This record gives sequence, structure tokens and C-alpha cells, in this order.
Amino acid sequence: MRFSEGTHRLHWATAPLRAAIIMIIYFVLIGFSLLLTQTEDGVVLVLGPAVVARFAIVTIPFAVIAAVAGLWTWLALRFRIEHDDLVVETGLLRRRKRLIPLSRIQAIDVVRPLITRLFGLTEIRVELAGGDRSEIALRYLGRSAGQQLRAELLARAAGLPGHTPEAPERPLWRVPFGTLLGSLLFKLPVLGTIVLFLFLVGFGIARGEAGVLAGAIPALLGLLGAVTAPLIMYGGFTAAASPDGLRLRYGLLETRMQTVPPGRVQAVRIVEPLLWRGPGWARVDVTVAGYTGERQALSSVLLPAAPRQVALALVAQVFPGATVDAVPLLPAARGGRVAAAGTDDVVFVTRRGLLCHRTEVIAHARAQSVRLTANPVQRLLGLGTVHVDAPTGPVEVTAIDRDLGEARAIVEATAERARVARARSGNTARWAR
Amino acid sequence: MYPPEDGAAPRPARPVAAPAYPADRAFSSPDGMTWVGVSSRFTWHRRVSALLWGLPVALFGGLVVLWVAGGLPALLWVVAVVVACGLGWIVAELAYRSWGYAERSDDLVVSYGVFVKRLVVVPYGRMQYVDVTAGPVEQMLGIATVRLHTAAATTDARIPGLPKGEAAQLRDRLAQRGEERSMGL
Repeated sequence: MRFSEGTHRLHWATAPLRAAIIMIIYFVLIGFSLLLTQTEDGVVLVLGPAVVARFAIVTIPFAVIAAVAGLWTWLALRFRIEHDDLVVETGLLRRRKRLIPLSRIQAIDVVRPLITRLFGLTEIRVELAGGDRSEIALRYLGRSAGQQLRAELLARAAGLPGHTPEAPERPLWRVPFGTLLGSLLFKLPVLGTIVLFLFLVGFGIARGEAGVLAGAIPALLGLLGAVTAPLIMYGGFTAAASPDGLRLRYGLLETRMQTVPPGRVQAVRIVEPLLWRGPGWARVDVTVAGYTGERQALSSVLLPAAPRQVALALVAQVFPGATVDAVPLLPAARGGRVAAAGTDDVVFVTRRGLLCHRTEVIAHARAQSVRLTANPVQRLLGLGTVHVDAPTGPVEVTAIDRDLGEARAIVEATAERARVARARSGNTARWAR
Repeated sequence: MYPPEDGAAPRPARPVAAPAYPADRAFSSPDGMTWVGVSSRFTWHRRVSALLWGLPVALFGGLVVLWVAGGLPALLWVVAVVVACGLGWIVAELAYRSWGYAERSDDLVVSYGVFVKRLVVVPYGRMQYVDVTAGPVEQMLGIATVRLHTAAATTDARIPGLPKGEAAQLRDRLAQRGEERSMGL
């Protein structure tokens, strides 16, 4: 299928799927209670002819409504690629048309929730810069059609003809399941909670005291949230490089394939909790403009757990020419030996956090603005904080507690380096041209 | 692990940047330029705003306190609000003096802040848009606020208290330079 020509619809199975979802909700809320009969013994489930007739009278119209609604939503959404825009039209009676300039695409996600994996369907999410409503979700497309659309959008966004075959990829790293599980368990708060849980259960069994459940159950729920949820979400994580950007694939139940085109990563953060520094693991978080709110939290991990060298290599992939480890970091005037900042011609690097080291990196070419702040306490001590601003995201690059004079010099030098870097890197809107 | 910063294996300590600024000049204007200040009407904007807040808070708050707790607490309430307004009156003057901006060839530098001092450097090429706003009090006084927006929400570069005409001219100048140097995200 070619998406460059003609108008397209979602996969036809979207209609029955949506109808089925409506019917499930209907059955849970209304339908099931219609099957129940009130007798002297209480509420019972007896399928007499009267009950079935009553159920059918209400359910059949509902089924028709659900089928029409499913069909309607399927018919209502049409999309096509027109020149340099993705055009999405919605509505049958009142038509709305949305033009999405392909050059402003920040990332494309191919999401396959568990239920749609059974039917071979995928969801395509196109992230744009700016605003909470700046995401386009096409749900659902056929599996190969989804891949094809993704490749075509990226090729056109890069400035290549739409029929360019999908760019080849080079695998960078695969996170083994053991490393992921180990990294999730091997954190002070998690280990502390496990110890607490075991202690509470042991105490409860030894003393025959049921009251410990009040502490043990929340602890168990917390563990499930902190270990199981990320394990399912990031299971089978692989990162690969291709000319149209970084490709990340992950998820045990709901699989995601994320493509971040070159120059779209605004800032990265290398996180090393205390216990991870023994085995030398690190996590990499990123700020990509466009991901906001909930999607930011879902899509901000570039690498959930990997050896530090791999993390640094991935950062070098994201910011070409950046060698984070080679940047000399100068300790802050106060704040122990951890807080430090340094820069070279490519990146600005800051490090914070006593127990959990966070190294934050922004390329000069991506810096939005540079700020110097000094609160009253800092001014008494002659200190200031330098912020290199990136779009809203998990990463905040701040060099805390520098000597005021040095801080101002950092601001001036960083502004100058950013100017040179911007002039050199040019516009990344069309990365293949 | 991080290599040690000092001690056993020292690496050549290259400063982050040459400490060319003495600490007391950290917030001074860029070399060879002077800050362009804002209109003195900005002070009156702050003062009128403080009064517009203070009066109802003193009156209605005082009445509520009178109703609940009696005469003396109500008097204390009013005195507290008056003192707060008086402080606001003085801070308005300091705030007016703290604002300054300088248009360099490639970026705009803004400095402000009475308690927390700030200095913001915004490259023209990073500006997404510039807008001019004026609230009711500002309109009455004939001043306006110019605000620069970049893709980063934290940038927060604004220049309040500019005379209307000057604000419009500044916006046009900034918009034009932004257009010339624009480069997307």
C-alpha cells in the first residue's frame, strides 16, 4: 500500500473492535443485571425464557447502536499525505480537517496494546512540538500498513520521496531480562520495602497477629508498582540506530516501537542510583519536545538499565560528537563533591545527587536559553545557579551553587558556545536533505 | 564510577569558563552595554495593584475577623495588611530599579529580581513568538509587558513596564530578528 496517493481509512477491524468494546461496557454495567432475578433466596442467575426475552429486548437495540457507532467512527476518520502535510479529517456531518506539517514531527510511536495484538492491529502516534493536544493517534491500522505509514512519514519528514524503502537499522543494545529485573530490585527503596515486607509477614506468622496486614499489603502493592509495572513495560527493551533516528522497542504485554528522528532529543539524563554503581549500571532518560503530561512519563526512557559505557555510547549517538566522560567536571563551591558542572564545545554537563547520581547533558545546539539565578541565601554566600533550559521534560540541566563571578562567566561562555553550535548545526527540520 | 576530581589522579583543571567577572558584577550589564531600564510608571503599576489587593483584603478580612474574634484582632489584621502594603510600596521601587534589558547582536539579556536575582539570555533564533500584554492597570498607565516564548517553559523572559509604543517597537524588532535567525526547535 502507498500512503502518498489517495485517501486512506483505518483498518476495517476497528469498527467491530470498537463495537465489541461498547458491548462489553454495556454488559458489565447493564446487561448482566438483566440476567439476574430477584427471588426469596436473594439474587440468582436463572436463564428462564422470560429472562432471556427481557435480555434480548434491551440488548439487541444496544448491539445495533454499538455496531452503528463502531462503523461511524471507522467511516469518520480519513487521512492522506498531501505535499508536506499529513491531513487528518474527522467527522461525517461536521467535518474537521487537521494539517500536520511533517517537518514538525518530533517522534513516531507504533503502539500495540495486548488486545489489538491478537487481531494484528497497531496504533500510530505522531508527536508534534507544542501543546497538550499536539498528538495525532491513528487507531488502529493493520500491522504492515502501520509500519509502512511510519516509514513513509519519516521518509517524507526527512525530505526524501515517500516511496523510499524503510531505512535499515543497526542494533545498538538489548537489555537482558535479568539485568532489567536486577536493576529494578537493586535499589535502596525497593530493598528496604522487601525487608519491611518480610519482617512484617514473619512477625505476623510468629505472633499470629493479623494486624500486620495493614502494613504488609501496602508494601506489597508498592513493590508491585515499583518492580512489576516497569518490568512489563520495559521487558525486551532493544535500542537500534537507523538513518531516520533511534528506534526503541519494548513492552511485554503492550509493545511499543518508538522512533526519535535525529536532532529531536533535547536533553538527556544519566541516572545512577547508589547500588547500581557497584555493577556499573545506568539508566538514560530523555526530553523529547512534544511528549507532554502522561506521555512524557511513558516515553522518556531511552535505556532502562545498561552498563554505563553503553549508556554513554547511546548519548554519543543522540548528541553526535559528545563524549560525556571526557568533559572535565568542576565541583561546585558548596554542595559536597557530587555537584559539579563542565562543558566542552558540544555539550554542557551537570551532575547532582548525593545517593542517586544524576548526570544531565544538553547539547549547546539544543539549548533554548541560559539563566543565572541567585536566591537570598545564595547571595549571602556569593553563589549562583546556572540553568541551561530545555523544553519541558524530565531533564533539567542546572549547575548549582557556583561562585557568582564564575556563574556569570559560565552564562556568557555557554551563550557564545550555543551561538556557534547553532550556526554549525543548521536546521534539523529536514535531516536527510 | 566517576574519576576523582582532585587528589590521587589530578587531571589538568580546565575551568568551566574563565572567571572574568568579579562576584559583585555577576548581574551587571553585558560588556560595553548599559541596561535599558523600564518606565517609572512600572512602580505605580505595582503600587496600584498592591492597593487594589490590599483594600478589599483589609476591609472584608477585617470584617470577618471582627465577626469571629472581636475588635483587637480585627485592628491587628488591618495593621498587618497596611504594613504589607507599605512593604509592597518600597519593594515596588526596588523592583523598578532591578529591571533591565540589553539587545545584543544574537541574543536578548534580561535581568531582574529583588529577592531572587535573575539574569536570562535568550537567543533570537530560539524565540517561538513574542507577545505584548497589558492588564487593566497597565492600560490605565499606558504601559505593557513584552514576553518572549521559547520551547522551554522555564525561560520566563519578560520585560514589564515598557511604554506602549516602546513595547510595540521592541516586539517588532525581536520578531524580525527571530525571523532572520529562526531554526525550529
